[in-house]
Amino acid sequence: MKKHAEYYLQATLNSYAIVFFSQNKTLAAIMLVVSFFNFHAGISALLAVVASLVMVTVSGFSKETAKTGLYTFNSMLLGIGFGTFFNFNQAYWIWLATALLTCIFLSVTLISLLGKYNLPVLSIPFILTFWLVLTGANSPINLGLGQQTSSLLFEWLTGGLGPITGLSSYLNGSGLPGYIGLFFRSVSSVLFQNNILAGILLSIGLLIHSRIGFSLLVTGFITSCLFNHYLRMYPDGISNYHLGANFMMVAASIGGFFLVPSWRSYIWAVFTVPVSFLMVSALGNILGAFDLPVFSMPFCIVTLGLLYFFLLRVHAVKLQLTPYQFYSPEKNLYQFLNVRERLQDLQYVKLTLPFMGSWAVSQGYDGGITHKGDWGKALDFVIRDADGKTYRSGGTLPEHFYCYNKPVLACADGTIEEVISYIDDNAIGHVNMVQNWGNTIIIRHAHGLYTKISHLKKNSAKVKPGDFVKRGDLLALCGNSGRSPEPHLHFQVQATPYIGAKTLEYPLAAFTRNGSYVNFGIPAEGDLLQPPELNYQVKKAFDFKPGYVATVSSAGTTETWEVFTDAYNHTYFFSKETNAVAYFINNDTKFYFTNFYGDKDSLLYLFYLSAYSINFSDHPATDFYPLNLGINRAVLWLQDIVSPFYSFIKLNYHSHAESGANGPTINTTAVSVVGSHNQAFLAAQIGIEDNRLAVVGITFKNRSIQLQWQSKELF
Amino acid sequence: MITMEKLKYERPVIRKMNTGLMNKFGTRTEFEPVKDIDGVPVKSLIRQFGSPLFVLSEKRIRRNYQSAVRAFNTRYPKVQFAWSYKTNYINAVCKVFHQEGSWAEVVSGFEYRKALGNGVPGEHIIFNGPDKKPGDLLLAVENNSLIHIDHFDELFLLLSLCKPLNRKPRVAIRVNMDTGVYPLWDRFGFNYENGQAWTAITRIMESGKLNLVGLHCHIGTFMLSTSAYAVAARKLCDLASRCKEQLQVAVQYLDLGGGFPSTNTLKGSYLPGIDTVPSVDDFAEVITTTILDYGFRPDELPLLILESGRVLIDDAGYLLGTVIANKRLSDGRRATILDFGVNTLFTSFWYEHKISPAQDFTHHTEDMVLYGPLCMNIDVVRENINLPLLEPGDHVVTHKVGAYNMTQWMQFISMRPAVVMIDQGGQPHVIRKAETLDYLQVPESMPDHLK
Repeated sequence: MKKHAEYYLQATLNSYAIVFFSQNKTLAAIMLVVSFFNFHAGISALLAVVASLVMVTVSGFSKETAKTGLYTFNSMLLGIGFGTFFNFNQAYWIWLATALLTCIFLSVTLISLLGKYNLPVLSIPFILTFWLVLTGANSPINLGLGQQTSSLLFEWLTGGLGPITGLSSYLNGSGLPGYIGLFFRSVSSVLFQNNILAGILLSIGLLIHSRIGFSLLVTGFITSCLFNHYLRMYPDGISNYHLGANFMMVAASIGGFFLVPSWRSYIWAVFTVPVSFLMVSALGNILGAFDLPVFSMPFCIVTLGLLYFFLLRVHAVKLQLTPYQFYSPEKNLYQFLNVRERLQDLQYVKLTLPFMGSWAVSQGYDGGITHKGDWGKALDFVIRDADGKTYRSGGTLPEHFYCYNKPVLACADGTIEEVISYIDDNAIGHVNMVQNWGNTIIIRHAHGLYTKISHLKKNSAKVKPGDFVKRGDLLALCGNSGRSPEPHLHFQVQATPYIGAKTLEYPLAAFTRNGSYVNFGIPAEGDLLQPPELNYQVKKAFDFKPGYVATVSSAGTTETWEVFTDAYNHTYFFSKETNAVAYFINNDTKFYFTNFYGDKDSLLYLFYLSAYSINFSDHPATDFYPLNLGINRAVLWLQDIVSPFYSFIKLNYHSHAESGANGPTINTTAVSVVGSHNQAFLAAQIGIEDNRLAVVGITFKNRSIQLQWQSKELF
Repeated sequence: MITMEKLKYERPVIRKMNTGLMNKFGTRTEFEPVKDIDGVPVKSLIRQFGSPLFVLSEKRIRRNYQSAVRAFNTRYPKVQFAWSYKTNYINAVCKVFHQEGSWAEVVSGFEYRKALGNGVPGEHIIFNGPDKKPGDLLLAVENNSLIHIDHFDELFLLLSLCKPLNRKPRVAIRVNMDTGVYPLWDRFGFNYENGQAWTAITRIMESGKLNLVGLHCHIGTFMLSTSAYAVAARKLCDLASRCKEQLQVAVQYLDLGGGFPSTNTLKGSYLPGIDTVPSVDDFAEVITTTILDYGFRPDELPLLILESGRVLIDDAGYLLGTVIANKRLSDGRRATILDFGVNTLFTSFWYEHKISPAQDFTHHTEDMVLYGPLCMNIDVVRENINLPLLEPGDHVVTHKVGAYNMTQWMQFISMRPAVVMIDQGGQPHVIRKAETLDYLQVPESMPDHLK
């Protein structure tokens, strides 16, 4: 029962907030209150939302989607529209119900239809439904809907709510200077109002919801007013409705919601305003013939058009569409920045070093000796000693070279595509320009992803075409065949299975470069590379397979965490008691959390912070949290405002394994860096015993907590 | 006026001509004077620190270590070296190895404490040897060290010791086996072929008091055959897989011990060591391919531990000395008396050490005996060596003396000399002072009636 109530409450609130692309409860509550400034509209909207929710839920549509308010916010707008335009009478409720059905039908179908193109539905269902109703009401056939007296357009809200009315009319009458008053009235127009008090309240809600979003509304407002000032399109000033529902909303949706906020997205936000002007006047002209208002159709058309335009790009270089919607421009931005740096595991196949021990890059990408042009993105490896020499005892025979005869490994799982193993090894200083690749093995890792390793020792291949190899399997031995004056390995990634194919720029994964761990990166000439030596106790302790269940307790609280995978095969912890979710990646050399949703008072949140990034080797892990973690709220708000352009906060994370008597301990610290001011906000010790997590001691915001672990596996 | 140093007088000798005809270049020898060590003149070292003098090259030690590690870790993913303390346990030497990443391998209580004192974490100390006192064992248990059990009596002792303790010591057993090299070193550890090793393993597992983490063998010393290591590695792998299959214990490491030879020449060998002994690479190739081919699950591939001592340090050590006198023996052979003998250069009992003059010499050479300064007939450094003629006061450099000498040396008739380490910048540092009479008499005490 409680669950039902929670679901309906959340879905109802979201149906309001989502109008401003938000899921913020404060904003939703303010919107709900403001909608009741016009009692008819408010009650109609609330009833419409609840009725639609029941209908959608009972009919068996996705509850997850319904919870976001996506199916029902058009019903909310419809309710407000009805309440604003028509008088209460018997026919009112009948036609509202009818319109509601139409609106839900349109919402569901359009969401699916536009969804195929990755486009949002915006307020199109409401607009279409309301056009239907208005056209019907204006037709010779009497529907029985009585239009409110004031006008077809907007009602100047005057009557109704006692003390608020006084303040409201004071504000509307005199109070604020022209443009500021206009701004608030424009904001209120999204709920079909023209009321400064409503605008102020909504603005407070919007500011709480998003600093970026609010700054974009202001940007849209200023741009529109300036534009009108210079072109004098509307000599009496733009109507607050078009300002709010079209120009400002377009700026907010393009500048900060559907695009990841940046200075580029702000320029686009400015650019959308004149386009919307054109759209408003043109559509107004056409629809005027049918006595229909344009509502927010210009906003819908411009947003959808631009979005589709951006979606069609082959390479999104700088201007990025929001990859995953968090319903907050700040979150979208911070997560995007965080993910862009951290989540290369989802972007690339993990190609590890094709050898053991420490090797040096003797020729890197576009090295100029033989890595040129189409064949430039290749790597040559040799072994060097502390004096920089690649050989001992004279270096006159291949056997003198450190790398000669050393095992060459498969860099990732795959199928052997090609094996050449019959070419003689050269004498030192000689090259074979006829069979210039020498003995070569090509592996197919994925469609269009092959790796090639060349200059192998004659007859050393341990695999044959068609064999399936796992990462780390022995392929052959390093040799000196082909265009190779001294023994070395040539490694390249290519898109086709042919010997002599062009090279592909592609990072290597999970290696140490000059002693420090790199998760993904392209080695450069002169780098000393080595596979990290893994601490198997740490690796086993962080091996959380789906079905892993842990009971974690701390001073009275106990949470049960289970590991699941989602539809995209991403793994996450789910805390049964708190419903918190923490996504993580384990790439065999590193464990790290990617995202956290839900209750920040949960123990899972503390674990998410503490074990944010753990190397299985003894190399320290450095990482950084997304800024929306919000360590200092006041500073964060300042950062939010300038975040699309500049970031002055960093939340740095550091972890390092230390061996102890009973097993390794991982010490982690987190520091917030504001300018030159450093402040540690988290310190944790993760204790591992018998290859399992045993205890985590956490000091977070001056609070010390001890998490005790009990884990078992479900099968 | 041009002054010229007075030419040295060398007593004329009559020598049989063996090969070749006379030519205008005269006869020449392959000897070359060794005037400096890592750029530091021998003369100045002796002037500063006295003679005889042990000199260690830090650079050589590090290069040796790095190249041995390279030989293994470019062939096997999990390799760990543990410095064999008994080979040379002067703290400065140990510290060089620990800095390079080496663990410690000790065989006695005092070596164990030395390792702790050198800052080696307890869990990185391997405790070997047949003589572990109860107190030493308890200390090792407390520090979570790796205890390699040598015999059943030690196993029983350890079990009784850890009964009242609330922790499981990490142990391995030392296994001896037939690897085709004789004599068998079957006095250490539990025998593989007769099932003793397996019995020990099951005893350990059944006790429930010990944590079996590894298997250890050490098949011999100065091993000249690589194939013996293939046999040893295979037998350890067999035991490990039996542990996994029958006892469900994945052994964490295989310790192949040491025994790799340095390039010294053993007495009685026909060819010089430098041409005949296998290199670390040869041993690495055999050991790693055996383990990799054995078929462990990749995530259960055991850590490979090596306890090499000699091969890592022998050629980094030099013994500088001075000629005391020359004489003719009754049979006419030339004899040269040096200021160091078998008490200082203990390894001269089994090596034919290479010895070079430390200054220029004429082209004449002669077969001779090199004696030490002791008043004992056994004090022979080289029984027969062909060298340029040396004069009293001349210096000599003995090569490849880094292993075992600085631990097995004796104070007998003469005191033990100073040890100097030349750092990578060419700067000499005393790492052990020459002994003095006072030092020698510190532990002595005098009964009252003799005072």
